[in-house]
This record gives sequence, C-alpha cells and structure tokens, in this order.
Amino acid sequence: MPIMSNRHLSGLLRGSPFKPIQAHMRVVFSCVCLIPPLFDAVYRGESSLVSDFADQIKQLETEADKLKSTFRLNMPKSLFLPVDRKDLLSLIGDQDKIADTAEDIGKTFSFRDMTVPEGIKALLDELLEGTMEITASAKEMIEQLDELLEVGFAGRELDKVSRMIAGVRRSEHNIDEIMHRIKKKLFSIEKDLDPVSVMFWYQIIDLLGLISDQSENLADRLLLFLSK
Amino acid sequence: MEIIAAYGTAMLILAVIFGLYMTWGIGANDLANAMGTSVGAGAISVKQAIIIAMIFEFLGAVLAGGHVTSTIRKGIIDPISIVNNPEILVYGMLASMLAAAIWLMIASAKGWPVSTTHSIIGALIGFAIVGIGPEAVKWGKVGSVVMSWIVSPLIGGTISFLLVMSTRKLIFNTDDPLKNAKKYAPAYIFLVGFVISLVTIFKGLSHLHLKLTTIESFLVAIAFGIFTATIGWSFIRKIKDDPSANKSFSYASVEKVFTPMMIFTACAMAFAHGSNDVANGIGPLAAVYSIISSGGEVGQSSPLPLWILLLGGGGIVLGLITLGYKVMMTVGKKITELTPSRGFCAELAAATTVVIASRTGLPVSTTHILVGAVLGVGLARGVGALDLRVVLNIIISWLVTLPAGALMAMLFFFTLKGIFG
Repeated sequence: MPIMSNRHLSGLLRGSPFKPIQAHMRVVFSCVCLIPPLFDAVYRGESSLVSDFADQIKQLETEADKLKSTFRLNMPKSLFLPVDRKDLLSLIGDQDKIADTAEDIGKTFSFRDMTVPEGIKALLDELLEGTMEITASAKEMIEQLDELLEVGFAGRELDKVSRMIAGVRRSEHNIDEIMHRIKKKLFSIEKDLDPVSVMFWYQIIDLLGLISDQSENLADRLLLFLSK
Repeated sequence: MEIIAAYGTAMLILAVIFGLYMTWGIGANDLANAMGTSVGAGAISVKQAIIIAMIFEFLGAVLAGGHVTSTIRKGIIDPISIVNNPEILVYGMLASMLAAAIWLMIASAKGWPVSTTHSIIGALIGFAIVGIGPEAVKWGKVGSVVMSWIVSPLIGGTISFLLVMSTRKLIFNTDDPLKNAKKYAPAYIFLVGFVISLVTIFKGLSHLHLKLTTIESFLVAIAFGIFTATIGWSFIRKIKDDPSANKSFSYASVEKVFTPMMIFTACAMAFAHGSNDVANGIGPLAAVYSIISSGGEVGQSSPLPLWILLLGGGGIVLGLITLGYKVMMTVGKKITELTPSRGFCAELAAATTVVIASRTGLPVSTTHILVGAVLGVGLARGVGALDLRVVLNIIISWLVTLPAGALMAMLFFFTLKGIFG
C-alpha cells in the first residue's frame, strides 16, 4: 500500500530564498575577482593569458545565469516570504548584471590586443582596488541575509547591515571621484594615443564604474527589505 | 435488543478491529507531521522519535484523551429516538470508524492533507442523517466543532507569533545572544512542562479517580515544569560557543541551545496528538462498548474504560513500528527549513493549543494547528518561504472530507445493517 504522509507540513516549508541568492552572489563575486588578474595579464601583454581569464569569467557568468533562472522558476506567487517577492527577484537580477559587466570587460580585452597607456596605470590600479572593495562589501552584505532573517529584519542586525549599506555608498562615492580623475588624465594624454584605443579605454573605465554602480544598487535593494 | 444479545460479542470484536485499523493509520501517517519538525532540526533521531511517540501518545490518550472521546461518543449524535433499536447506533459507530479509516487511507495514498478528526466527524454526521434522521445530529455542537477547526489554527498561529517575538526580544536582539539563550532556555522548557501538565491535570483526571483542587493542580504543574526545566538545563549547560560555526552564521551557537529544547516539544506534540487524534479514533469504539456492555442501553452513562484508551495507544504504536518509521524519515528530511528556535516556538504553540482544545473536548486537527503555528512564525518574518498553496489545499480538504466521510459512512451503515439484519 503506497502510504505517504499527509504532506502538508513538509509542503508548507519551502527552501529559504536567501540561500540561492547568496550562492549566486558568490559566483558573481568570483567573476569580479578575475578582473584584476585579467588587467595584470593585459599590462604584461600576454594575450593567451588574457583570453584565458576572459573565458573563465564567461564560464562563471553562464553559471550565475543558470542559478538566476533556477531561482526565478522556484518563486511561485503562492509563496509567503518575509520580504517582497518582487524585490527578491530584482535583487538577483541586479546581482546578475554585475557578472554581465565583468563579462563585457573580458570580451573587450579578448577581441582587441590593448596596451595600457603608462599615464593611467596607477589610477587604473586604484580604480580596480576600489571596485574589488565595493563588490566585496556588497557580497558581505548579502551574506548577512541569514542573520537578518533570524532577527526578523529588525534590531541589532539591522543596525549592522545599515552600516554596511552606508559603507557601500561611501565607496561608490569614492569610486566616482577616481573615475573623474582617470578620465581627466586620459583626456590630457589622448592626442598621443591611437584614437580607437582611447575610445575603448573610456568604455572600459565606464564598465568598471558600472560594477560599482551595480553594487550600490544591491545596497539600495537591501534597504527596501529593511524598510518594509 | 435481541440483535445486541445475539451478536454482541461479534460486534465488539469488529469494533476493536476497526478501532485498531484506524489508530494504526493515525500512527503510520499522521504522527510524522506532529514530530517531523524535531526530527528535521536534528534534535532527535527517527528512532528516538518513535520511542518518545510510544510513551507520550499513550500518556496523552490515557491522561487527557477522555474529553474528546466523550464528545465523539455522545456529543455529536443524539440517539434518543432509537432507544429501542440500540443496534442502529452500533452499526453507525462501526460504519463511521470504517469510513474514516478508509478515507484516511485513500487520502494518505494520494497525499491529500486530510485530518482524522474531520473524517470521523463527517462519518458520524453521515450515518446519523440516514440512520436516525437529520434531527438526531446535534447541529449546535457540530457548529462549535467546525468553528474550532478555524479558530484553533489561528490561536496556534498567534501563540507561535508571540513566542518568536519573545525569543527575539529576550535572546536574538541582545548583546550576548548565547548567554541570554542559556539564561532563558530553562524558562521556555518550564513553560512546556507547566502548560501541558496544568491543562491536563486541571480537573481533568477524574476518570483516573484523581481529583486535585485548583491549588494542588497548580502546584503539581509547577513542580512538573521545574522538573522538565532541570532536565533541560542539564542538556543546555554543556553547550559552548563555537566560533568556527559562527563564522558562516553568527547565530549558529544560539540555535544549538534550542536543539535539545525541541526534545521537550516533541514529547509535548506526541502527548497532544495522543490526547486529540487518538481519542478521536477510539470514540466510536467506546460508544459500541458501552452499548454492548450495558446490554443495549444507548444512554451511555458508563465511564470510559481504560482498556479502550490503552488499545488506542497500542494501535498507534503498531502503526509507528510498521510504517510510521518510514514516513517519519521522509518527512523529517524535508522539514529542515525551520531553525531549531523557530521549530521550538511552532511546536510549543501547537502542542499547547491542541491540549487546551482536548481539555475542552473539542476534536481538532493537530496537523492543521501546526500549520497555523508555522504560519505564525512566517508572519513574524521568521522563515524563508512558506507555500500558501498548502493552506488552500487544507481548505479544499475540509470541504471534501466531510461529505466523503459522510457518504462512505452511509454506505457502510447500510451494508452492516444488511449483514446483521
């Protein structure tokens, strides 16, 4: 006799939506982590290494995409969640955009053999460092979702996460300032450079800036959870 | 009267068999929901759950099951118009048991969330309508029973909501959650022992010839609460901070304090389940026994004999050993989403609500109350995701189970009537 339990209790409890979001963010973060070594390879002009890193970023981006789709398929409207379902779906979408941007940077370098203008190297390093810092803090923030759930998105944990959000915003501001300097510098030396390359360098700088913008968006999404 | 005299023994044997069948089904299926949370949280192994269930289902049925049994026995149907044909009532009770048991079996196989309680009430109403007449159903009482099915999950949900909030206030949202967890844990365990024993003892043990005054009841309950708290304390005091576990999740150590606490709620759930669901299952058997032992008197003033409650407990144990083990394993594996602190709150709320309902004689559904309690945790923003389709399924099962149980009871009633003449 095929006896099953009266399944409602185990059916009632669905997997926590925060776990897949965190797993997704970890993959996105490893995408971003490959950007500094990618630039390093560009500095040294090792084109095979460059395309190798670009490939790795692409693979991770595909993985993140898969995680995102699985997550979306497992979020029926009948779910009762501690946060707004739409906000959760937008959050994972925003995370995914970071991986997309990282992939775009990788692609640009793998299409074109680019040499880094000496004048912007130092500033570029500064920008890369800032980008890593802001994505790392965005990831830390996402890792706090478990803890937030435990305290019901209120209380002490909320203070801590609010501080983290404020930190991400400050970093973004800082990066804006670096972007400004690096673009000014690039403008001052652009007549000595190949015009097409300059165009691409502007684009790459903008893409790096986009990563920190997108990290800031994550902070804004999280703020929505907290203000519910 | 002649029929009772001629076939009395055969009828009683049938009643015992049907009663066992039904309680067997309850043990095999229903219990997994009641205790699955504790198993899923890793507080107890499946084997330990079975042992706890054996002891506490028994105790629940024997100590606190009397009121619900008497509601089923004489609260739903008014047999006054068939005083001269007591065999009608015997057929009806037999038919109701068989109908409820078979309906449960079908629903379990299909995975529908139906409740033992609702099946048996549906069956009783069905039989009474065709066997005696619609006026024999105590509709007022039925109304209050049906109301309790709606109200009891709400109460369970409210209690669990408040419990979750209290754990936040006292433990999670403080400077040193672990220290506070260890400080307040014995108080929560005290609450488990105190509430369950107080509700049970409070003028509720007269069928065991144990009559305590109000103050005595309170004292015994307090003593029992302290006793459970002491046992709990001996488990909890050894728990140390685990920095490596805290790294990935800063409340890991705090949750560890709640894990042993779920042993107590598992006991309480088994007790509550025994007091309500087991008592439901054996109500009709008790009715048959009282008619036959009195030689055909439908007045049913005789007290509930202890052996019937024991038989109910035995059926549950049998169900557990044969099939419940497997079901518990499956369900336990799935219910891992509730952290121990949340599982504790949900189970404590559910057990308390069920025992209070049992005490007032209301046949409620343990599982539905537990679902209500888990929703209460969800409303406190305490759980990742709850699938509300399940709630819809429960409502549908309410609407289906009553007529299904009733129709089957009618069918079996006429069959039995035909057999015994």
